[in-house]
Amino acid sequence: MDLLGLKVYGDVTVADVLVVVAVILFAVILAKVVTLNLRRALADKIKRDQLELLTKIVYWSIVVIALISVAPILGLNLSGLLVAGGIAGIVIGFASQSVVSNLVSGLFLMIEKPVRLGDQVEIEGISGFIEDIRIMSTIVRTYDGLYVRIPNERIFTSNIVNYTGNVARRFEYRIGIKYNDDVDKAMEIIREVVEKHPFVLKHPKPDVFVEDLGDNAVILSVRLWAPATEWFGVRMELLRDIKKKLEENGIEIPFPQRVVWFANELELKK
Amino acid sequence: MYGVYELQNFHLNIRDLELGIFEENGFRIYRRGDLKKVVVAESGRVVVNPVEPVNLPKNITRFLLIEFDKPMVVEPKSSGKISLTFPIEIAVILAGKKSFEVLDVFSFVEPKYTLYGDPKNGVVCRYWRSEIFEEEEDFVKGRLEVEISNSSSEWVEVGKLVFDVYGMKIYYGESVVAFAEVRILSEKVAETEFVDRRIGKKSLELYTARKIPMVGKKFVMEWGF
Repeated sequence: MDLLGLKVYGDVTVADVLVVVAVILFAVILAKVVTLNLRRALADKIKRDQLELLTKIVYWSIVVIALISVAPILGLNLSGLLVAGGIAGIVIGFASQSVVSNLVSGLFLMIEKPVRLGDQVEIEGISGFIEDIRIMSTIVRTYDGLYVRIPNERIFTSNIVNYTGNVARRFEYRIGIKYNDDVDKAMEIIREVVEKHPFVLKHPKPDVFVEDLGDNAVILSVRLWAPATEWFGVRMELLRDIKKKLEENGIEIPFPQRVVWFANELELKK
Repeated sequence: MYGVYELQNFHLNIRDLELGIFEENGFRIYRRGDLKKVVVAESGRVVVNPVEPVNLPKNITRFLLIEFDKPMVVEPKSSGKISLTFPIEIAVILAGKKSFEVLDVFSFVEPKYTLYGDPKNGVVCRYWRSEIFEEEEDFVKGRLEVEISNSSSEWVEVGKLVFDVYGMKIYYGESVVAFAEVRILSEKVAETEFVDRRIGKKSLELYTARKIPMVGKKFVMEWGF
């Protein structure tokens, strides 16, 4: 008996199924080859997130076109599917409410772009880098290297803090010095250290000022702007440099202290 | 001092800095101060020339902002020429078999960055302060000849200019020089652009060496000047 002519169901034979499998396999390989070449050709020319979106659209377009073109071989009438789809759609719609919600949220995220690939974000208490924005979920790599998948619906309805959404950001130090120390000299030293750093932006200009006369120290506030991509490195380097420079110039960062006055003279002094 | 050298004989002294490719334990090693890189190559050449000044301490922008020591005022419907300076960054580029590799970039100028515009829509720029009609200094600052035209019907005051350095053509010879044009369109908007005027030997630009596609060399200053 001819194995290829064997009917699987209806008029669909084993040969038809093999043709369908071959076409889909070919389409997947073709989609992979096309997207790989797209990546090679456009890697330097467009942004990474745009490239990812483009490659996904191209990949799935090729696969879907292949599926639609082989559907009649399997006896699937697409116009019939559309009619059946009306009823099935309602049933599936209720069953897959969260799936659809994630899908729609994913589409809106791709259009609105509150986050891009590589951005440093905080979403629902999860901080890290955006690794991938998929149609159903977004992948975040936390600062300690963990893989976190967040459904797009939750991202869409959450407060998103994007640390690198703007090109520059401000940060602040509060530095205490002793009441005996020369406050003008301390401010001048801090200003010199801050202005010497290449990534502390010239404009907006850094500010150094006395913020508070605290219980144990005069509190100096240092506010400065840095490129959003560099701010964390700058923040770490500068605090060390400021401490070292203040110490070199004899300005101490005091420990908490209390002056205690006794109402009566101490017995020990007698 | 700038130019093309054979790999085998590449030794240079620029100001008090020694750099070159030296033989150590049978390997070729590029050395500049504490920086060392092993070079595995039989032949090839080394190009040393000034490049777009946006690479140090690392490349985070493609824009150069030059702030004037004193602002200048430009008459309506007029044009003129000024001579500014720009910071020199020197690149050491390996060349061979139609391919380039940037080995090193160094400078005798402390880099500084600034923001032009607001944090949301503005751009981070390499910052440089220059006098108008300032003299260049070997290996430190090059000369930037700027043609300014004011096509608006108002007097305008110019205190800074922002350029997209991806279109910067630098020439060297007796001095390091680049050219630019600035078109003032209104009191708040100007268009800046580096232009190519052949004078001396042309530097190999880093966007060529790194095969960075150039997406446009004009910059529109929308946040004042």
